[in-house]
Amino acid sequence: MDFFERQDKARRHTTLLVVYFVVAVALLIGAVYFVVALIFGGIELKNATEETTVSWSHAKMFLATTAGTLGIISAGSFFKTLSLARGGRAVAELLDGRLVNPNSTDAHERKLLNVVEEMAIASGVPVPQVYVMDGEAGINAFAAGHSASDAAISVTRGAMTMLNRDELQGVIAHEFSHLLNGDMKLNLRLMGLIFGILCLTVIGRILVRARGKNAWPFLLLGLALIIIGWVGVLFGRLIQAAVSRQREFLADASAVQFTRNPSGLAGALKKIGGISEGSALQSHRAEEVSHFFFANGLKSELFGFATHPPLIERIRALDPSFDGNFPRVVLPDAPAETPPPPLPGVSPLVQPPPPPPSHAQPPPPPLPTAKPPPLPIVRPPPLPVAPETVAQQTIIADIGQPRTAHLQYAVDLHQAVSPSIQTAAHDPLGAHALVCAFLLAADAAAREKQLEELGRATSEAVRQETTRIWPAVQGIPPHARIPLVDLALPALRRLSPSQFEQFRGAVNALIVSDKETDLFEFMLQKIVMRHLDTRFYPERRPVTQFYDLHPLARDAGILLSATAYAGADDPTQARAAFAQGAESLGRIARAEIPWLPPSECDLTHLDAALDRFAQSVSQIKKNVLTACAETVAFDNVIQPREAELLRAIADALDCPIPPFVQA
Amino acid sequence: MMLLSCGLIAVIALFLLIFVVGAYNSLVSLRNRYKNAYSQIDVQLKRRYDLIPNLVETAKAYLAHERGTLEAVIAARNAAATANTRAAQNPGDASAMKELSSAESALGGVMGRLFALAEAYPDLKANTTMLSLMEELTSTENKVSFARQAYNDSVMAYNTRREVFPTNLIAGPFNFGPAELFVIEKPEQKEAPKVSF
Repeated sequence: MDFFERQDKARRHTTLLVVYFVVAVALLIGAVYFVVALIFGGIELKNATEETTVSWSHAKMFLATTAGTLGIISAGSFFKTLSLARGGRAVAELLDGRLVNPNSTDAHERKLLNVVEEMAIASGVPVPQVYVMDGEAGINAFAAGHSASDAAISVTRGAMTMLNRDELQGVIAHEFSHLLNGDMKLNLRLMGLIFGILCLTVIGRILVRARGKNAWPFLLLGLALIIIGWVGVLFGRLIQAAVSRQREFLADASAVQFTRNPSGLAGALKKIGGISEGSALQSHRAEEVSHFFFANGLKSELFGFATHPPLIERIRALDPSFDGNFPRVVLPDAPAETPPPPLPGVSPLVQPPPPPPSHAQPPPPPLPTAKPPPLPIVRPPPLPVAPETVAQQTIIADIGQPRTAHLQYAVDLHQAVSPSIQTAAHDPLGAHALVCAFLLAADAAAREKQLEELGRATSEAVRQETTRIWPAVQGIPPHARIPLVDLALPALRRLSPSQFEQFRGAVNALIVSDKETDLFEFMLQKIVMRHLDTRFYPERRPVTQFYDLHPLARDAGILLSATAYAGADDPTQARAAFAQGAESLGRIARAEIPWLPPSECDLTHLDAALDRFAQSVSQIKKNVLTACAETVAFDNVIQPREAELLRAIADALDCPIPPFVQA
Repeated sequence: MMLLSCGLIAVIALFLLIFVVGAYNSLVSLRNRYKNAYSQIDVQLKRRYDLIPNLVETAKAYLAHERGTLEAVIAARNAAATANTRAAQNPGDASAMKELSSAESALGGVMGRLFALAEAYPDLKANTTMLSLMEELTSTENKVSFARQAYNDSVMAYNTRREVFPTNLIAGPFNFGPAELFVIEKPEQKEAPKVSF
């Protein structure tokens, strides 16, 4: 089952979910009508003189209850869905999550951030926002969001401090598989729908407060609504549990495939069994989001309502020799994560920050009296090399399915990137400068002009920082650039809206002023802007609109022609490459897809075409990506540069390709 | 008729409730945002407070006669570090932010004096450690000002939201107080560096 099939399956689950839900709502309407007829029917019958009036009033009553119940449920669901439109962070903040600073120096937070960053690079998705639930001592975690670009990963304080690196990696890999399998969107939808039913109870509570001479029917109705609402929520929980349970085994299996280390994940599950807090959450909001969690988030769960398979069963699936006795949990030693390396020429940070003092006015941290120790010379290992050529058939199969080799690549890359670049990628200003530096021209005079323009579009600080970072950026090979951009995204999401507007303006200015705009530069900024737009303009989310290639024929022509020009030097060869790509889309499609001159497949056209493909169903995305792969593979070699272009195109279509590694 | 009015009241009540919950949540979210924005400043300020002693340590060898300035730098750095610890505990709190603003302005002033002083010592200026420290400090300074802008933007967004109708009806009863901006007065550039022979 490849990435596209899994996405389709998640979508079918959603359809099924909606069917269940409609049935539940119909039952609820029936129940409400029954109660209303019982209470008010009696009153109106007394007043009625003729039988026709009675039946008429019953029909009216039925319409009114149906409209009322539907209105309440849909208003509630709509409201909840709207408030979840901000993506994963809306859920994380609901549970009192604290956003972890990407440049945090706290050892536990650093460990967590590094594990998440490595996973993200290995999967080829932007690094998600990382939250910690400080108030939760149990071990649990969740991923939430509509897509990879607005995803948030949230872990409890217990998970961050009690799990060692391997165990934490297992947990995060489990969450990443939810992220890549399209489960998160399903979960959000479920949350919105169930909230609508919950609103019935809320109305019931309001009605119960009714006072006055003739208030008793309202009291009764309110009481009935509370009960019906709870029964409805119970239905919802059943659906929630049924959908969630079967996906957990799948996520465990993908996590092991990813890290090839079943003992990490099994260890984390055993620790949950071994501590008194288990995986339960204290927050009263936990129920609403219980289907997001890594392990059962609720204190007690009845059979049938359990959102997760039993712990022992999950452990046995990973470690068949498990005897069912949970070991006592011993806290791991101080985390072994190395602190961020010092900057060249600067002595290591003087002192670790002192523990938070209990009194109000803490004394300032002590000053160093001794001379700073000499700086140890640490040479970072060389960047991992991209393979010379890439096998074409693995490209599509690998989408959304990172393996251990990719994880190893990510770890190597993470260690090899120079400290100054890493520090920059974790800081808003630094990340801003990093992206701008990627767009600078190699030619000194052109670069000077670009920097001047950058200063005008933003501020002097940005210009200085970009100039400072440029020498270090220059040597970064193409295959490491997309991962670095992915790494920089959490910091860029922390720009304020006005700073983001400046950033957008600066990036556009840099692209335009650069006379030799190349396709790769363009794709790089496309990735950055696409992922950031979900943060700054959550309402601009793409909606699936195309179910057929036919209306997209011209867009396919633009995409394939542009790819063909990028890969071949002379027009005839490009034309042939294009033909091979278009052929793979089928004979009928072949006739419709036009071969375009360069002027008609320039960057503006390409931009629009990619946006339209992003709104198509996954089968179209798969076919068109295969066609692009065929086009670049025309000369039987996929150069690293072409491969990176493919990754960028796939990213624009929300189909993350893991980095290419040596076979 | 009774049923209709009953339904109407219930629906109005629901919408009111939805409004209250929505307004409350938006205020919480905006408050979280400026607090998160402060943590970004906090990281860079701490980095700066760690760099300054190193700088002073390096400069000491060359500026033996300028003990006064060096001590002033350290004193201002300590005051600012204390003010930052307080502000980080409760970002947006008026008195903490004002204290930090004045401490940071003072630190900016004495640092300016130190840099001006260093101009007069070619050996110090040529020292590679000093160069990289100054470079690092400038970069950190830039990052602070950038993070400060983001923080001020989000404080403004929060303050505006809590003042406009109808959210202001919620802000009072649920105790959403105003947040304070983080402004730094430009250090007096005109102040002549004290030169002693």
